[in-house]
Amino acid sequence: MADEFAKGFAILTGGGMVWMAISAWLTTESFEGTQLIAQPPEDPGTYAQLALLLRDVTTWFVIFGVFAFWIGIPVFRELRAYLEDDAGA
Amino acid sequence: MSDDEPNTDGTEPRTDGSGIVPQDDQAPTWSERKQRTQGLSRLTYEYFERSRREDEDLRQASDYVERDVLAFPTWPHEMIRNLAITSFFLGAMFFISAAVPPHLPGPANANSTPAVILPDWYLYWSFGLLKLTPLNPELTLLGGEKLVSDRVYGVVANLVVVGVIAMVPFLNKGAARRPVEEPGWAALGVGGVVFAFTIAVLAVKNLVTATFPISNPELFDLTFLLPLVAAFVTYSVLKTMREGYMFELNRRYFRLRPPK
Repeated sequence: MADEFAKGFAILTGGGMVWMAISAWLTTESFEGTQLIAQPPEDPGTYAQLALLLRDVTTWFVIFGVFAFWIGIPVFRELRAYLEDDAGA
Repeated sequence: MSDDEPNTDGTEPRTDGSGIVPQDDQAPTWSERKQRTQGLSRLTYEYFERSRREDEDLRQASDYVERDVLAFPTWPHEMIRNLAITSFFLGAMFFISAAVPPHLPGPANANSTPAVILPDWYLYWSFGLLKLTPLNPELTLLGGEKLVSDRVYGVVANLVVVGVIAMVPFLNKGAARRPVEEPGWAALGVGGVVFAFTIAVLAVKNLVTATFPISNPELFDLTFLLPLVAAFVTYSVLKTMREGYMFELNRRYFRLRPPK
């Protein structure tokens, strides 16, 4: 169980840092304005488009990764243990 | 063969730590050992096997009667863990400082005062204690005058709060391992934490009353009522849990060490 937590945590921190670096460059208006989740630029260049794509990828990577390792897999294991217990008893 | 085998013949287990320590059920079987023949898995296996062996040798060489608590040695166990954690945070700091664009603010304008002046958020509690004006009594003896000015009163309130916190370790040495063992002190702690939060909210009361439908006197009353409510709820819940907790504890204790 601790392993699964560490995997989910690694996904959260690693993916989150990449997401944060891209968001700080491309979707931040200013220090005083909206940070990290502002609208992306109107006419991004090729590299910015690639970065924004990577930003979307990391967003869903973090969401699905954390969900899988912190909720999905433990629930599945609990269910399997419960069903096996039921079958054994 | 009598000492290193777990008791299966119905006699009482020996719990005083004497005798040869048997392998626990975490130890690998011989077939598992044979599978780990190369690479990192082999290295990891050897490392933990050796540390387990050293642990066991230490237990047997020790003069202590109670041997079930032997800590890990600082080198390499603790140091490797600490270095891993240190490397993680160092890496995060280097990555952020290298990859995230820095904010370079314009020069401060000394001629204009900002609309909102606040300390950093972790000092809000102290800032809130400066705003206890309604608690500073107007004494009839002095003809409605206050004994000390509101500013001095706020500073004294800081001293009082810090003094109370500094006294806690002398009043309770912290023998309880869980809040349920000392509900009164746990309630005091919860009340203190909630008060730290509410007094911090009071520090920004101008922002709070502008944002939420609450007036200044109500906010002031809530600042002192909420900690009391939280402490009361904590105390009653823990007091209710106490009996069941002590029952479980006693049952485990006497299963481990049967009374003579």
